[in-house]
Parts: sequence; structure tokens; C-alpha cells
Amino acid sequence: MTGLMLALTGFALMLGGIFLRVPIALAMALTGFFGTWYVLGTPNAPMAQMKTLTYETFSNQGLSIVPLFLLMGQFATRTGMSSALFRAASDWLGHRKGGVAMASVGACAGFGAICGSSLATASTMGQVALPEMRKRGYSDSLSTGVLAAGGTLGILIPPSVILVIYAIMAEQNIVKMFMAAMIPGVLAALGYILTVAIYVRIKPNSATTAERVPMAERFKTFFATWPVIMIFGLTMGGIVGDWNWSKPGPQALFTPNEAAAFGATATALYGIVVGRLTLQGFIQAILETAKATAMIFFILLGAEILKGFLALTRAPDMLAEWVLVSNFTPITVLVVMLICYLIFGCVMDSLSMILLTIPIFLPVIEVLDFGMSAEDTAIWFGIIALIVVEVGLITPPVGMNLFIINGVARDIPISKTYAGVAPFVLSDLIRVVILVSFPAITLWLVGVMF
Amino acid sequence: MALALNAERRVGRIVATASRWMAIGGGILLTGMAVMTVVSIIGRMFTGFGLGPVPGDYELVANGCALAVFGFLPFCQLHRGHVTVDILTVQFPKQVQAIIGFLGDLLITVASIVILKQLWHGFGEKFPFGSDGMREALGMGYKPFFPETTYELEIPVWIPYGFALVGATMFVIVSLYTVWRSFNWMLQGEEGAL
Repeated sequence: MTGLMLALTGFALMLGGIFLRVPIALAMALTGFFGTWYVLGTPNAPMAQMKTLTYETFSNQGLSIVPLFLLMGQFATRTGMSSALFRAASDWLGHRKGGVAMASVGACAGFGAICGSSLATASTMGQVALPEMRKRGYSDSLSTGVLAAGGTLGILIPPSVILVIYAIMAEQNIVKMFMAAMIPGVLAALGYILTVAIYVRIKPNSATTAERVPMAERFKTFFATWPVIMIFGLTMGGIVGDWNWSKPGPQALFTPNEAAAFGATATALYGIVVGRLTLQGFIQAILETAKATAMIFFILLGAEILKGFLALTRAPDMLAEWVLVSNFTPITVLVVMLICYLIFGCVMDSLSMILLTIPIFLPVIEVLDFGMSAEDTAIWFGIIALIVVEVGLITPPVGMNLFIINGVARDIPISKTYAGVAPFVLSDLIRVVILVSFPAITLWLVGVMF
Repeated sequence: MALALNAERRVGRIVATASRWMAIGGGILLTGMAVMTVVSIIGRMFTGFGLGPVPGDYELVANGCALAVFGFLPFCQLHRGHVTVDILTVQFPKQVQAIIGFLGDLLITVASIVILKQLWHGFGEKFPFGSDGMREALGMGYKPFFPETTYELEIPVWIPYGFALVGATMFVIVSLYTVWRSFNWMLQGEEGAL
């Protein structure tokens, strides 16, 4: 059997297992383990690798940032920052038609700036914004749809757990990845706000208007969001800014790992000082972090074992060679990959998808000529892949954000949420087309900063 | 019909409490690492005033996080926190779903045993003590000539490996319990609530 055939067989078996509810991490690990065994004819090598692989994967310095960012996000959900953000956004936008829905997008974007997870953003903002929208007579479809979509801003706007993992896999600078995600993240928020505006024009009775809030009041609520602005400014600003003008070149205040540690500490400290983070809340935050961290690292371990097998088969290189000699245009290849993500995104979670596909897709992308440097291409592809896998969070039948919002409002049938989120999916797709057509939008800020 | 249901419930409560405390311990360790890093940053900012960064802060965080993850694994498994795709299987009869769930827990248990066993061998390769006879009996392999240490603080690597073994052992225990639990669910013909 050729390496390519072997890898394909392995993947087919693995996907079969995944669809039979085998935990994804385990399906990856088993495929990697037995695949390596088959290639080498003995289980000794993969077994010997396991002596140190588990500990080494868990103690990877680049990955320490993941539990720290998760902890920061969990603390942030328990400090009342989400309500402050929503209040400020709704004071500024609430008087417009559909304004509270727009405010939800704004608040999600703000929360995404201190939280690296979509699910946490969706559930936190859902609890704050959903009751408010329902009270003000917004339709069930619009209010649940906008929150499910807004939740995806949590992962797109840095910090972002998936971007960290992509950066490690693609051997890219994490700071550059964060910078590259900034403008697409803002575009996403603006796109969702525009979608709301169009939505309420087409369906005028899906939203209401409220009274205009006086300017003085608006600024007051805006400044009440200072902890969010401070923490985001210091964590993100601290890793990209220039904090020592006496030395040439940008001197960062701290490394990404340190920023995550600082963010978690600062968020917890703020929560304790204002009295919102109780001991009970602290323990809850820890347990939620524990679950998410263990889940992510178990998948990372599985992916690590699978990676060894893929490397042995040389399938990714062969695929890349094949794509190269077949003379497909680079853009065709990219579009095919993105369509794969969209299809798999309907049933699979974003992290597993990234871990499964990047070892195969990235070597192919790297041999194609998109008219950019190798580094720019990898950064640009990472951002686009992230956006497309995030679409999977809001597409039925399996869209985690939809379920989370549905869990907040159990009386709303999920079909209404499905209908409400459709325009936002469309907005996502339009944005992907724009970002694919104009790589400069993604890469401009990276170029300015470095 | 179920296999020693009362005993399973009782063991379940013990396992739940133990894994919960282990996860909390891991979380406190993680929080401690975050605070230590902040202290280190502050120390570095005031280098001119006789302060300095915490030595080896980076490797402390990396190893601390690793141990936290080992502490988190049992809790995650107990709550079936590992990602699965159930789009297809929800169409199946409840009994079949319970069987699939049982097989999933069984596979996780096998994996957890492999992880523990190999981690033990890895520990043995880094652990520089013990007579040849004892090492032989415990499957620890040859005594390392140069015990491996961390880069900056030169902490012997067998120490964090030893702590990791505690987490990995708990992972096996919890996984074995979840097999028992899902076996009962299988006999009852329906998966219980978590």
C-alpha cells in the first residue's frame, strides 16, 4: 500500500469511528498508533514514544498559554464585565431599529477581547442580552441568531485559543497571528451589525426602537467598561506595543504567555476587589477551565500521535506534490479546502477540525504561489481557516453556539434559532470572500507592527 | 438490571469528590503559576532596584501547566467532557447509544492505562535511584547515568513526572469507574444524566 492510500484508509477509519461517537481525541490517537504499528511492523516505536510524549505535549511551553487564557475567560464571565459591556453598547446603539441586537454584537466583540473562547462568549453574553432583547419585543429568531453569531467573535478577536494552536502547528509567531486577526475581527462585528440593520428593514416587526439615551449617560456607561479596556489594552498592548523607547525597535512589555498569566490574574483581582468573584465562583471557574483544558490537551495528544503516523506515510508531501503537478490554480485549491471546512463544520468542532486538517492542508498551501511570502501565506490562511471553521459553530445541525443560546432560552424552539442565524452565516461567507480576495486586509496590521 | 448499582453509586460519589478536588488542586496550581508570572514581570520591571524576574519562571509555568492538565483529566472523563460527534448516533435506539457509550468509555480506559504504563516507564528512565533488582521488579528499566534535569533550575525531571503519575493513576481509576457506570447504563437500556 502506498503512503497516500494508507493515510486515506486511516482517515476513513478514523472518521467512521468519530461518527460512531468515539471521542475525537481517541480516534486520532488510535489511528496514529495502529497506523504507525502497521508501517513499522511493530508496536515498539509508538509505545516507546508514549513514555515521554504525554508529558512533553502537556508541558509544551507554547501551549501553557491555553489554560491561562481559558482561566482568564472563565474569571471574566464571573465579574459582571459582560453586563457593563452590554449596558454601554445598548446605551449607544439601543435607540436604533434593532439597536439592542447591534449592541449585543458590540458587547460580544468587547467580551471576545478578554475571552478566547466562543462558547464562553456566547453563553455569557446570552445570559445578559437575551432577556433584555425579549423584554423589548425582539423576535426570537433575531435575538437568538445574533447572539449565536456574536459568540463567534470570542475566538476571532484575540486572545484566541485556536489561533494559539494554529500558530504552534504552523510554526508561526503567535503575536503576528493575533495582529492579523484584529481587522478581520472588527470587520466581523461590523458585518453582523450591518446584517442586523438589513434584517430589521426586511422584517420590521422583528425589532423595536427605544428612547435615545442622553450623551452624559452614554459616556458614563462607556467608562464603566474600563476594566475590559484596561485588561485588553494591557494584555494585547503589552505583547505588541513598544514599551521602552530608549531601545530601537518595538520592545514588548511581555511575552504572550506572560500576557495570559497577567490577564488571568488581573481579571481575578478585579473580580475579587468589586466583590463579584466569590470563592464559589472561583471554584466554578476552575472546574470549567479544568474540563475545557483537559478536553483540548487530550485532543492535542491524539493529534500528536496522528502526526507521527502521517509523517511516516509522507502523505501530506505526496498530496502537495500531486496538487503542484496537477496545475490547479492556487485559488481553486483554497476554495476546495474552505468548502471541506464548511461541510465538516456542520458536524465537528473547530479545534478538532483544525488539528485534523492543518497537517495535511498547510503543506499543500505552502507549495502554492499566492504571490506572498511563505510566512504571510501561512498567517493569512490561518485567519481564513479560523473564520471558516467558526462558521461551523453556527451552522445546523451541530452548531455548538446554537445549542448554548438555546440552553439559555429553553422555551424558544431551535428551528427559530436556525432561521435567525442564517443571515449571519451569509455575512460570514461574504467576509471570507472579501478576505480571500484581498489578503492585504489581514496582513496590513502585521506589516505595520513588525 | 444493573451490576451492583448501590456499590456503583457509592464508588461514584467517592470518585466524583476525589476527581473534583484533584481538578481544584490543578486549578489552584494554574492560578499560582499565573500569579508567579505576574510577580516575575514586576520583578523584571524593577531590575534596577535590586529586584529581578523569578528564576526559571518559564519552565515552572510549563511544568506547572502540565501537572494541572494531568489533574484535570480525571474530572473531564467523569463528566464525559471529551469531544464526540453524536449527530449520527442520536438517531439510534437508546440501547444502542448506551452500548456505544460503554465502548467509548472502555477505549478511554485502555488509553488511560497505556498512558499510565508508559509514563511509568518514562519515569523509570529518569529516576536515578534504587537497586537493580528493585528496578527490574518494578519495570523501571536501566538506571539513568545522568539524571535528566530542567534547563534553568536543574530540577530533576523525575519529580514532575512523579506528580504526573498521580494524575495519570487517578485518570485510570476514574476511567475504570466510568466503564462500570456505562455498563450499568447499558444494562438499564438508557444512558443516565450527567
